[in-house]
Amino acid sequence: MVRTGDLTILVPFDVSDAEPPALDVLDDLGAVEVVLLGYFPVPDQAEPALLRDQYGSEAAARLDAVADERGAHAEMLVFTHDREATIDRIADEYDCDAVLTAGNSAGVERVLVPLRGDVNLDRILGVVADLLLAGEETATLFHSVPEDVDPSQGELLLMGAVDRLVEYGVDRDRVDWRLAEGGDPQSDIADLAAEYDLVVLGETEPSLAERIIGTVLVGIVDALEVPALIVRDVE
Amino acid sequence: MSAEGGELERTLGFVEAMTLGGGTMIGAGIFILPGIAAETAGPASSVSYAIAGFVALLAALSLSELATGMPIAGGSYHYVNRALGGLFGAVVGWGMWTGLMFASAFYMIGFGQYLVEPLPFLDGRAVIVGIGLVGLALLLGVNYYGTEESSAFQNVTIGTETAIILVFVAVGLFFIDPGNLEPFAPFGAGGVVATTGIVFISFLGFEIIATVAGEIKNPSRIIPLSMILSVVLVTILYVLVMLVSTGVIPFESLGESPIPVSDVAVVYLGPLGVIAIVFAAIIAAISSSNSSILAASRVIYAMGRDGIVTDWLNASHPRFYTPHRAIAATGGVTALLILAGLGVETIIALLAEAASFSFLVSYSLVQVSLVVFRRADPDDYDPSFALPWPVYPVVPILGVLLSLLVVSQMATVVVVIGSGIVAFGVVWYAVYARGRVVSEGLLREAIRGEPAEPFRVVVPVANPGTQRGLLRLAAASAHANEDRGTPELVAVNVTPVAHPSPLQNVEADRADHQRDLLENAHDIATEMDVTLRTRAVVAPDVGEAILDVIEDEAADEVILGWDGTLDWDGHVFGTTVDPVVRDAPCDVSLVDLRTETVGTPVALVAPGPNAPVVAHQAVEFATVDGTVPTLLNVQSPRSESDADAEARGQAVVTDAAEAAGLDPDEYDVRVVVDDDVGRAVVEATGQYDTVCVGLSGRPGGSGIRFGTVTERVVHDSPGNVALIRGS
Repeated sequence: MVRTGDLTILVPFDVSDAEPPALDVLDDLGAVEVVLLGYFPVPDQAEPALLRDQYGSEAAARLDAVADERGAHAEMLVFTHDREATIDRIADEYDCDAVLTAGNSAGVERVLVPLRGDVNLDRILGVVADLLLAGEETATLFHSVPEDVDPSQGELLLMGAVDRLVEYGVDRDRVDWRLAEGGDPQSDIADLAAEYDLVVLGETEPSLAERIIGTVLVGIVDALEVPALIVRDVE
Repeated sequence: MSAEGGELERTLGFVEAMTLGGGTMIGAGIFILPGIAAETAGPASSVSYAIAGFVALLAALSLSELATGMPIAGGSYHYVNRALGGLFGAVVGWGMWTGLMFASAFYMIGFGQYLVEPLPFLDGRAVIVGIGLVGLALLLGVNYYGTEESSAFQNVTIGTETAIILVFVAVGLFFIDPGNLEPFAPFGAGGVVATTGIVFISFLGFEIIATVAGEIKNPSRIIPLSMILSVVLVTILYVLVMLVSTGVIPFESLGESPIPVSDVAVVYLGPLGVIAIVFAAIIAAISSSNSSILAASRVIYAMGRDGIVTDWLNASHPRFYTPHRAIAATGGVTALLILAGLGVETIIALLAEAASFSFLVSYSLVQVSLVVFRRADPDDYDPSFALPWPVYPVVPILGVLLSLLVVSQMATVVVVIGSGIVAFGVVWYAVYARGRVVSEGLLREAIRGEPAEPFRVVVPVANPGTQRGLLRLAAASAHANEDRGTPELVAVNVTPVAHPSPLQNVEADRADHQRDLLENAHDIATEMDVTLRTRAVVAPDVGEAILDVIEDEAADEVILGWDGTLDWDGHVFGTTVDPVVRDAPCDVSLVDLRTETVGTPVALVAPGPNAPVVAHQAVEFATVDGTVPTLLNVQSPRSESDADAEARGQAVVTDAAEAAGLDPDEYDVRVVVDDDVGRAVVEATGQYDTVCVGLSGRPGGSGIRFGTVTERVVHDSPGNVALIRGS
């Protein structure tokens, strides 16, 4: 059951920004395939083709500059009204396991992996195993149990997850876990992340209310200073 | 990377399209016009709405077919411009733009009325106009700064507004007093038709779906579905609203009200109902006006793309990336139209009718365009939603007749204003656009039908720098073969898309390429007097796509551009060219244009099946500059005398020329005798402008045979090199 570590990650960034994103984290992830997506956010008022006519070559040059600097398995330039829809489509087309959000990091040594339950667990652990097998990092698995729930359930979940990683061929001593009781998982994760260089999160299917107000995940990601790797939930 | 620097995402799904279309239709039209409609048609105004809805449905059916054939920004304007050319394009483009501004002003005055009337401390026309202007200013501000997609919020507000209307109708049905519906049509059929002209503006929404066709996901399914469904549902809703309104309140008193729906609601829903209706009316006016501004900027974009208006209008804001000039221009004129409300008593009816006029004229031309597309049947027009027989031709015929009928019953002042806008479009075309517009339209093809037995040369073009030369060569080849058929060129451009997906707007790429192709095609066609068609294809593999076109067109010849490099990286000429050279079932010329002119061609004739084709091709190319080509043969002396070798060479050339059916005065013969054939060939051919060399025919295998002599010519010749492979 040892994984072969063929991890493909999608790295989206906004090409309308003159400042290229901080993608140093890519250098530290080891042998992962990178698909670079330069997206140009188009306001509803403009036809996407109009902005491409005007900024297409400039945007392509920015994307190429980033691609040349980092090396990428594939690069895409898309003009879109809806960043999320584009990220989803490109991730599907290139079979990406996870999406990287940019953040500041100086070298990736410690990875935080918050787990919510059985949702998407297999895929998250697969990605973490691939990461660890491709590089030198250590990982901390994290779970937060609500106040009125027996904490032993959370321990079981975390220990099971550690075992799974070991089955995949990861060294035991590169993985540990932490359990939080009570409190708000979102702020716990954001506080804890300050001690880490990268966070691996599972994508969540937003409920109707979240669609209208904004998703939990976006809240967490926005609160993070460090880059996050969001594992896609695809069947 | 896709072509032209980036892909275009399609982001609007079915719900968004319905929100945009239906949301615009359930707009001010439903809250304001019932009063005016009741005044001019009585209870039979519900019939006016039904007729208007039917005319809209006819237009929506035709637009659906056109939009799935060309899912790209611009709506009716784009289809008319392509089918009927720039003149009608300018008329419809200006008509749509002004129509959208009339509509926008109409919505904002309605917005003012619904705010002013229920509040006792406000009244007067000036206040209504003032509030309309404030509302417009807010909308323009938002649009100027740009909004990211917040479709969820829009869906909720439009949903709420629709729910309020549904409650109004459902409850109202029980309060209809049949006595109020008698007499049903106090103003007769004339009144009903005249009212149709006023209320037609209510069905503007489906056109807005067509203007954003470039941004709709899975266009072949969602465009027809959302256009047709929204028109049908809204028509039913309008008819019911009208029946309820005229059934609850006598039409005479309904006609006097600027806020008719709210006056009806108070009868059976009480004050709470009025608040809900006023809320819905305000949401409706804002969203409809906003959609009109959005649609207007798409129409202006499309007109700028085709050269009908200056692209200056389309420059997007350096920070917000909105087409701020187009929005400001639209907003400025709309504000003037709202201001006209100060002086014109019946401004609401006038604006509604003027907008209706513009769109009815546009839809008549759309129906004609559909017929033109069907008759001319251009290759890139392959609609996934095609009207079945007998729906086509009934729809376009009925559509034109009914549009004209409704227009004929309109108020004289509206006909004058509307005709003025049409005349403006014509003058605009003559003065500004005529020299700038590249598309001729398909009218001539539609009338002429298919030419007889063509001799077809396919030219794949990708690089604007070389396509001119290639097309000139192709035109010369086609002309030289006039005895075999009417010369016809087919320029193909393949947009490579790695993963074609219904979520990408690749049609916009095609339009860009098409424009470049058309511009060149024009010059070439006039210069060389040859028919040219263009085909724009989107496919993952360029070579395969070109082969498909060659097969599909039953081409007699294909002329391929090539950069003269021989990369041995598993390919002879390159990934695109190899499959075509290998598998094309016709004569193939692979041309590396290194100089501006074709000049005097030389054909390297060696014994073999290719020799006649090479010789003939050289003669064809020579016609470009009216020169006489040289047929060259190089012999190594072996053990015999030079004279014998010379004679042998002469024989090779004459055999080939005869086989190619050439007259002796069409070419010069030259034979060179030399030990080092390769060097002699390079030296001899170096004196000519264009070298034609044969490629080995297709041997049993799949490879391309490539001799060392040919390789040396390719590497060392200073002139143009054409590699010829016979079929």
